[in-house]
Amino acid sequence: MTVSTALRVSSPVGGEVAGLSAVPDPVFSQAMVGPGLAVRPDPVAGDVLAPIDGQVATLHPHAFVVAGESGQAVLVHLGIDTVRLKGAGFTMHVVKGETVRAGQPVIGWDPAALEAAGYATICPVVALDAQNGALVDVAPDGPVSPGDPLFVWTG
Amino acid sequence: MLDERAAKILAAIGGRDNVVELEPCITRLRCELKDNSLVDEAALRGLGVHGVVRIGGAVQIVVGPEADTIASDIEDLL
Repeated sequence: MTVSTALRVSSPVGGEVAGLSAVPDPVFSQAMVGPGLAVRPDPVAGDVLAPIDGQVATLHPHAFVVAGESGQAVLVHLGIDTVRLKGAGFTMHVVKGETVRAGQPVIGWDPAALEAAGYATICPVVALDAQNGALVDVAPDGPVSPGDPLFVWTG
Repeated sequence: MLDERAAKILAAIGGRDNVVELEPCITRLRCELKDNSLVDEAALRGLGVHGVVRIGGAVQIVVGPEADTIASDIEDLL
């Protein structure tokens, strides 16, 4: 990883902020791939937004990674175990490798439909491989609008 | 180097004969194996994986953001 800077990470969806420990998946709840926050999305169909400026480093229908210029990469995962849907119900608005701006729509989805199908819709937003303590100005639990600040990732 | 890591991960999950299905998911390899008892967690941790999680019948190896690349490297070995 190259020299990193303070990276402002914004919410990809509107809903309720929660700690990663609220995510019913040990990989996220134990922060195995990095610290971060989770957002319980409002149960309305809509677009999931890029959390930072950068390049779409990984793109699946149910999850994506945006890598910033400094090499810091942020993972957004749409619900839990949603890989099983094999893309059904998700619409990708970008392609892998594309440059995106924070707030730009990346994936369209319908959390209400996922919930009805029995999936947890909570969205982990993870600072991949960040050190403990690297996240500051972490948003408290509570309501969040799309694009609101979630945390700042210091290098 | 990635190829070597893929080969070592494959060896640590019991080799190609033990793999039923292997699927990458952003940061992890979801492995459906014939015999989960062949998974050598100590060896996997020695390879720098972030964790090994057993959920349902599957073993998930948390390798970090390179999961897609590692999975395709392993698939080349299957």
